[in-house]
Amino acid sequence: MLLYVGKRVLMMIPTLFAISIIVFTIIQLPPGNYLESYIAELQAQGESVDQQKVAFLREYYGLDKPIPEQYVRWVGGMLHGDFGYSFEFNMPVTKVIGDRMLLTIIVSFVTILFTWCVAFPIGIYSATHQYSWGDYGLSLVGFLGIAIPNFMLALVMMYVANVLFGTTIGGLMDPEFIGKPWTLEKVKSVLEHSWIPVIVIGTSGTAGMIRRLRANLLDELQKQYVVTARAKGLPPGKVLRKYPLRMALNFFISDIGSLLPHIISGAEITAVVLSLPTTGPMLLNALKSQDMYLAGTFLMFLALLIVVGVLVSDLALVALDPRIRLTGGVAR
Amino acid sequence: MNVRTSLLVRCALALATMMLVTLSAAAADEPPSLAADVAAGKLPPLAQRLPATPRVVDISRPGWATGRYGGELRMLMAKDRDIRMMVVYGYARLIGYDEKLQLVPDILESLDNVGNRIFTLHLRRGHKWSDGQPFTSEDFRYYWEDVANNKDVSPFGLPRALLVDNRAPKFEVVDATTVRYTWDEPNPQFLTALAGPSPLFIYRPAHYLKQFHAKYVGLEKANARAVAAGSRNWAGLYQKLDEQFRNDNPDLPTLEPWINTTPLPTTRFVLVRNPYFHRVDRMGRQLPYIDRVIVNITDDKLIPARAGAGSVDLQARYLRFDNYTFLKQSETRNHYRVYLWEKALGSQVALYPNLNVEDPVWRTLMRDVRFRRALSLGIDRHEINEVVYFGLGQESANTVLPRSPLFRPQFRTAWSTFDPKRANALLDAIGLTKRDDNGLRLLPDGRPMELIIDTAGESSEETDVLELIRDTWRQLGIAMFARPSQREVFRKRVFSGKSMMSVFYGLSNGVPTPEMSPSELAPTTQEQLEWPMWGQYYEQNRKGGEKPELPEVVKLVGLYGEWRRASDDSERERVWLEMLAIHAEQVYTIGTVTHALQPVVVSDDLRNVPADGIFSWDPGAYFGMYNVDAFWFDTEGR
Repeated sequence: MLLYVGKRVLMMIPTLFAISIIVFTIIQLPPGNYLESYIAELQAQGESVDQQKVAFLREYYGLDKPIPEQYVRWVGGMLHGDFGYSFEFNMPVTKVIGDRMLLTIIVSFVTILFTWCVAFPIGIYSATHQYSWGDYGLSLVGFLGIAIPNFMLALVMMYVANVLFGTTIGGLMDPEFIGKPWTLEKVKSVLEHSWIPVIVIGTSGTAGMIRRLRANLLDELQKQYVVTARAKGLPPGKVLRKYPLRMALNFFISDIGSLLPHIISGAEITAVVLSLPTTGPMLLNALKSQDMYLAGTFLMFLALLIVVGVLVSDLALVALDPRIRLTGGVAR
Repeated sequence: MNVRTSLLVRCALALATMMLVTLSAAAADEPPSLAADVAAGKLPPLAQRLPATPRVVDISRPGWATGRYGGELRMLMAKDRDIRMMVVYGYARLIGYDEKLQLVPDILESLDNVGNRIFTLHLRRGHKWSDGQPFTSEDFRYYWEDVANNKDVSPFGLPRALLVDNRAPKFEVVDATTVRYTWDEPNPQFLTALAGPSPLFIYRPAHYLKQFHAKYVGLEKANARAVAAGSRNWAGLYQKLDEQFRNDNPDLPTLEPWINTTPLPTTRFVLVRNPYFHRVDRMGRQLPYIDRVIVNITDDKLIPARAGAGSVDLQARYLRFDNYTFLKQSETRNHYRVYLWEKALGSQVALYPNLNVEDPVWRTLMRDVRFRRALSLGIDRHEINEVVYFGLGQESANTVLPRSPLFRPQFRTAWSTFDPKRANALLDAIGLTKRDDNGLRLLPDGRPMELIIDTAGESSEETDVLELIRDTWRQLGIAMFARPSQREVFRKRVFSGKSMMSVFYGLSNGVPTPEMSPSELAPTTQEQLEWPMWGQYYEQNRKGGEKPELPEVVKLVGLYGEWRRASDDSERERVWLEMLAIHAEQVYTIGTVTHALQPVVVSDDLRNVPADGIFSWDPGAYFGMYNVDAFWFDTEGR
């Protein structure tokens, strides 16, 4: 077991290395660099640009160096915890991201809880009552959830909340609480604002999860051991909880791999529309303005979370499901 | 003896009463939001916070009124970096433009200018930084010796506006409130640079910055401090903290009306009033009227929607003309009004024939004034105006706007009416009479006339206009293709002469006065798309680029020199007009439509915002020229 974990961890190194090359290449692919897009933005607003200052910045940021050298500097820095400098904010990347992380984790966590709380009962209900009116109705709602684009739902909800409840458009709290210490009032304001993003981000996830849980559960419900259990006269609730539901949960655990990065960067587009102070819009802006170290660090962090998440879910599956063995791929 | 004493007593009594009266008057005029701090002794009373002679803001504009204190001004910006706009809007400058585009001393009490060579700057006695420390000539000396002439902090040398023919001025501290800059040759850019939206800061809050400067705390200590703060060396940290324009260091003392209190990154900036601000209204009450400015950061595409939802009090940035109808629609529901201000570009979209193009055949043509005139006559500006600008623009050559005292109607109309017949006649006269099977004219060497226009590829407005021009030029027998590229590539192509013609906006300052520099009209820098190599020649002191050959261009160079040496405004005006006339006749740049409009959303309660203004970066600093510090909220109607 330890050997297996060790091998997996070692495998992460080349994986992450390859990802870092890909990430850096993709960030460099659009023509120009941060300074060029910065100049373009200034000129679009009719402002003038001091070419002397631009020359200074180009040298200071090392943008005049060849791209391979920039890459080596970046990766080299990351190995000992220096993630580079955000041009946009004129401060180290870690400081920029740090502030937003907490709110992002809160929003994502609440969203995931929301998803589970809604999806679980509905999924079980529609599997056990297949082709009933309830199943059809709930599936319809689920499909709607998948089909309506998140940003559209966000816009509609924002409008409704503004008109009906007078909630300010966008943001995660009333503007006057931003940057203030946490008080009861602030928590209330956050709660008042956070239900919109939670519902918006949650709906598509909920719908997907309902469908998967229903499908998995239906598979299991057909199996002979369920029939046997029923035949032996076990109460239907116990049958369900004891066997098929547990079998149907495997997908749930293997989801952890993709869930972890979601906590950090979930739902960029929705966050932009709702102007949430989360990391999503920041990543998007960093990519747009070619703030390459900020964007690169973000993407590397997401990659790391995926790699770790997949490992964790693999290990969890082994622990939870005795039918799964680690030996398969490793033996021979 | 007795009489004497009583006289003395009476005098003393009178004096005491007088003092009492002034004191109570001062207390009454104290901005209410500061009164508590003053009463608690945390702030000195108003009289000690203001300079001995504050600047009195008294504007005669219809609807102007002295205001009441209080309120929060809400604005939206798209990026954290945009907090610099508050330095633009605040517009506290040594010397700045007023609404009539005249330069008036602002932070300075007065300024003596001898022949644009010797500038003596007189500060206001008792003027203080926002932290209460005195603002004196020491702050200028510090900038000059320890910032501008320090190789670590300014590796690229002095700012260009301080150099005349690459020579630095002589700097002297005359006394605690007087400094002097002396150049050997006139430096007419000095004052306009001081008045710029992103001004030349020739002073620094020395008392604050010295604690980070190696010269004052020692190299080791300064470096240690910088490394602890996450910078490479002390100069790196110093550069980061010393950003009066970026406005992102809440600890940096300022002279602006509002002080930024929020560090980056954030989604909401709070700016509070500067208790030491140097301007007062005509009643002697300290400005600004508005206590706090709130700048919320949101996505730029959401800004029009949020402005329309009434979540701003003053907004123009990130609003585009095509938002106008939407904004107008919810005017009454959300209690604001929308003004349309004029943008100050010489032309929204202008074509730049490259007189330095590599291809010899095209070069000869581009340098032929008849060819340029024909191209200009072949543009249907009316159609462009109707299709792209809803008919609200004005058809014009690329020249100054009617608001400028230098405007002459003939500059606007010269060679800028749609006249394909005359254009064809001109082209025929050049000898371009042969055509191919498609009706395209043939170049002298037999190639079909296919004109390729480079665009920076950023705005659909440019491509829309080009699309319309393409159709009308086809009637002249000229095929035109747009070649979108990316900005860096675009500039390199133009500079190297690979591009025949490029498209960009016109004159960046469409509202010049004679004292503003006409450098845009003569070859002065490589950035000029119509003659990059000639511009480079003068930019690099006749070492690079090419020497201009056309007599008219040589004349422009001479005129520009005359303007720099000119001693009075009538002389400068003559030079300006002559240069504009040459441009109108020679059509070095081809303008299309000007007078584009900028929607400005203003809360119903906000007073003293002009309904009709120019929205211009330089000169004007957008709202800056209109004294945002004197805007105020009239909440009595509610």
